Amino acid sequence: MSDVIKIFHGPQHPGVTGNMSMELDLDGETIRRAVTHVGYLHRGFEKLVERRTLIQAFTIVCRICVPEPDPNEENLARGIEELAGLEISERAQFIRVLVLELARLQAHLLWLAGQGGSIGHEVVPQWAIGERDYILDLFEELTGGRVYHMYIYPGGVRRDLPDGFLDRVAAVLDQLEQRLPEYDRIFFENAGVKKRLQGVGVVAAEEAVANGYSGPVIRGSGVARDVRRDAPYLVYDQLEFDIPTQSAGDAYARALVRRAEMNQSIRILRQVIDRMPPGTIQCKLPRHHKFTLPRAETYVQTESARGAFGYYLAGDGTEYLRRLQVRGPSIVHAFTLLEQLLVGAQLADVALIMNSLGICPPEIER
Amino acid sequence: MAWNPDIKGVTLPFSVLKQSLKQPHTLNYPVEKRQLVPGYRGFHVNDLSQCVGCGNCQEICMNEAIDMVEATSEVNPKNASGLVPRIDYGRCCWCSLCADVCGPYSLRLEGEYTYVSADPDSFLYVPKDTKTS
Repeated sequence: MSDVIKIFHGPQHPGVTGNMSMELDLDGETIRRAVTHVGYLHRGFEKLVERRTLIQAFTIVCRICVPEPDPNEENLARGIEELAGLEISERAQFIRVLVLELARLQAHLLWLAGQGGSIGHEVVPQWAIGERDYILDLFEELTGGRVYHMYIYPGGVRRDLPDGFLDRVAAVLDQLEQRLPEYDRIFFENAGVKKRLQGVGVVAAEEAVANGYSGPVIRGSGVARDVRRDAPYLVYDQLEFDIPTQSAGDAYARALVRRAEMNQSIRILRQVIDRMPPGTIQCKLPRHHKFTLPRAETYVQTESARGAFGYYLAGDGTEYLRRLQVRGPSIVHAFTLLEQLLVGAQLADVALIMNSLGICPPEIER
Repeated sequence: MAWNPDIKGVTLPFSVLKQSLKQPHTLNYPVEKRQLVPGYRGFHVNDLSQCVGCGNCQEICMNEAIDMVEATSEVNPKNASGLVPRIDYGRCCWCSLCADVCGPYSLRLEGEYTYVSADPDSFLYVPKDTKTS
C-alpha cells in the first residue's frame, strides 16, 4: 500500500494568491509531485477587448491583474500609441512613471503582507496593508479609484495632477522611508523569517535565463535583468536607479530584492517629483468610434513588480483590435517553475514559495 | 559545528513593542468617517438643466450599463429627446468614460459611494439632479 496521498491546495485557500489549484502528492509532509491547475478565474478579457473600441478596451485590461493593474494600462496605451503613431507629451510620460512606481511600491507592500501571512508572521501583514493604504489614498486623489485606476490612457493620461499632489507624494515617501527600517527589524532581519525563507525555492541563474523567468525571481538569482533598463520606455532612460540583485536564488533572496526595489522606486519617484515638467497631459484623439488602427502589429513590455509584462497587439484597419495577447510573468513562474520547486518541498512551504514567486493567477488566465 | 546564534535576528523583532505606545492609523467608523475625496469615481450625478439627452454616455459605455429613459422631472429645454441616462449599478464599472464624453458636462461622478438596498431594481439608478458648480 502506498503512503502517498493526494490533496488539492486551492482553488480557495488563504495561502494561494488567487484562484488557482495545486494537486499535490504528499508523502508525509513532503511533496513528491505537484501539478498546477488553472481555469477557475478565466474571464476572457483578451476576447472581450476584440469586441470593444480602443478607448473602451482600456477599462478592461486593468482587471487582468488586481495587485498591480497599471502595467496593463501602460502596455495597452503604449501599444496603441505605437500602432497609431501618437506622440505623448513629456509631462504625461513623467506622470505615467509616477503612477507605475507608486504601483510597484504598493504591489511590493501587498507582497510583503502575503509573504508574512504565508509564514505565520502576524504583524507585518497588518502593517504592510496599512502602509499600502496611504499609497492608495494618493491613487484615489489622482485617478478617482483606489485599486483600478483606469488612468493611463492612449495618448497620455486622463487627469492632470491635483494642486499640491507632488508634495503629498513626497510626504508619503518620507513616511515610508522612515517606516521601512522598522520592517527590516521585524521581518527582513528576523531570525525566524530567515529560517523559513533561506534555502527554500532555490532557482539557479542558468535555469532562470533559459526558461525566461523575470522580475525578482531572476534578479534574486543574480541576473540583473529589468525591462526598464534593457528596453527603456517612457522616461526611464533619463532616470537614475539601480537594479538590485541577490545571488542565493532562494525565497529570502527574492524578498531582499523586493525590499531593495522599494528603495529604488522611492529614488525614482523623488527624481520624478523634482523634474516634473509643465505641459499638456493628453494628445488629441479622434472620437472613440472613429479611432482606428492600421493593419500592423506590435509587442510592448513593461516591468511590473512581478516581472516583465508583455502585450502583443494587432490592428486590422478598424476601430477594434484584431488580437490582444497578454503575456504576464506568472505564466512561466506558475507552471514551469512552481511545479518543479514544489517537488521535495514541505507542505507548509507551498504558500511561502507561491508568494515568493509573486504568482498572480488572474494574469495567467486573463 | 560552531554554535552561531543570530542574536540580532532574535532581539530586533521585539522593537515591534514600541508600536503599542502609538496611536492607531485606523478610523473609529462610523463615529469617525473619511472625508470624501474630490474627483473620486463614486455615484453619478446629472445636472438636468444642462443634460441634452444626446446619449453619448450610453454609446460609449462598454458594459451597456446606461439606458436613456423618460425624465420624471423638468429637463433642459434643449433636451430634444426628453431622455436622461439611467445607470445599472449591477453592470457599471465606474470607469467614468460616460462623464468624459458628456458634451455639456452635466453627467459626472462624485465622492458619495455608500448604498444599501434589498431591492435589486433600485440598482437601476437615475442620477440625482445636481447643479454643476
